[in-house]
Amino acid sequence: MTLALRKHLPPPAMTAPIMRTPRTVDVEITARCNLRCRYCYFFDNPSVQYRDLPTDEWLAFFEELGSCGVMEVTLAGGEPFIRKDLAQLVDRIVANRMRFSILSNGSLITDQIAAHLARTGRCSAVQVSVDGSCAEVHDSCRGTGSFQRAVHGIRILQTHGVPVTARVTIHRFNVHDLHGTAVFLLEELGLPSFSTNAAGYLGSCRTNAAWLMLGTEERQLAMEILLALHRRYPGRITASAGPMAEARLWGRMERARLERAAGSPGEGALTACGCPFTRLTVRADGTYVPCTMLAHMRLGTINRDPLIKVWQTSEDLNRLRGRRSFSLKEFDFCAGCSYLPYCTGNCPALAYAMTGSVDHPSPDACLRNFLRNGGSLPLPLAGS
Amino acid sequence: MQNLRLQAPVPNPLVVLREEFDDWAVLFNPDTARAVGVNPIGVSVWKLLDGRRTVDQIVREIDRQYDSVPECAPDDIGGFIDQLATGGFVGYEVERAAP
Repeated sequence: MTLALRKHLPPPAMTAPIMRTPRTVDVEITARCNLRCRYCYFFDNPSVQYRDLPTDEWLAFFEELGSCGVMEVTLAGGEPFIRKDLAQLVDRIVANRMRFSILSNGSLITDQIAAHLARTGRCSAVQVSVDGSCAEVHDSCRGTGSFQRAVHGIRILQTHGVPVTARVTIHRFNVHDLHGTAVFLLEELGLPSFSTNAAGYLGSCRTNAAWLMLGTEERQLAMEILLALHRRYPGRITASAGPMAEARLWGRMERARLERAAGSPGEGALTACGCPFTRLTVRADGTYVPCTMLAHMRLGTINRDPLIKVWQTSEDLNRLRGRRSFSLKEFDFCAGCSYLPYCTGNCPALAYAMTGSVDHPSPDACLRNFLRNGGSLPLPLAGS
Repeated sequence: MQNLRLQAPVPNPLVVLREEFDDWAVLFNPDTARAVGVNPIGVSVWKLLDGRRTVDQIVREIDRQYDSVPECAPDDIGGFIDQLATGGFVGYEVERAAP
């Protein structure tokens, strides 16, 4: 008999059975926001009903999450701080032995709510969106005055000792300010870290895509700047999507191709997204969906359909998990691609937005497309 | 100081036991964000922690529940509970000093 006590949980394996319940639940507690950012993934989705649930519905749901052993709740929106009952919602999460994090534009954070979050001792982080080093850049897509209010919100959180981080969404109007943004966030504001992604072909961004989303040149520039910043600030700039994530992933793929290496387990198939194995999302109207970016895929309704039943038996969710069994060789889109053995097909939500199917590689993060469009990899840095 | 084997470990009431399909589980302390994976016997031990059973009594109960328990089991179980205590998942009652 051996008693194992492991300090780290294993990553989800391709053939692993699902967890009994999700480890994390992302909850869009409101469909309201005081800003209208031009690349917002949340608004302008014709599949979504933008309405809020009353307090009692969320309180009951958080009781259920606690009984299911959920460990973390991410409060998103809309803008979570717009809800006057936010403290009450947070208290119910804490009372049910869970932690929480909040995704925010920062502009509605007050001393009172920051003090409350700090007192709980359970706030993993408040992530504030900051898209530039100055108002001119940040406000270009988020609206006049939003930079000043976001920075004010961050300083309030810092004053109260609430863990705070930032998210930089990269687009054509801030890509040249990335260096300044990093200096501002990490040195001037003293944040421990920030994460990056890029404006994606979702929600409001779809109507602004042509002039907002990174073109090949800007994408390449962003990769070069971010990798250089990574060397200057090791471990303090993160990304699970967008140019920085692509630079690392594509660098590894290119090295593997040049070395004629065999693909690793999970590569050469639609395995990129592990979210359906660990987390679930609830829209502001109480609809379960696999992910905020797959908001059209309705799996059930909170307080009517038990979470555990939705998680374990939803046909749509299990079909999404089964996406991993699709070999990239099955897609005409990938025919003849020398990166195929090392590719994982990327984000299913962007695949859906661009092709109409989640069971398809995402053209957005396709290395071959990037190279065909004139892009080149910053090879000496890639994958470092 | 008393021998810990003779004391009854008390589970931290905030700790969540997330049981999985394969009988493994995760113990999660929301106050510290620490999570540890435990195997099925670890889960059995956790469920026996009630603030009344001593470590020795837990060892005997495991011996009663399972076949072919090896000789090293008492040390393994004691070590496991020690690790849980170090991580804040269990504690021991402290005797109050006389006023």
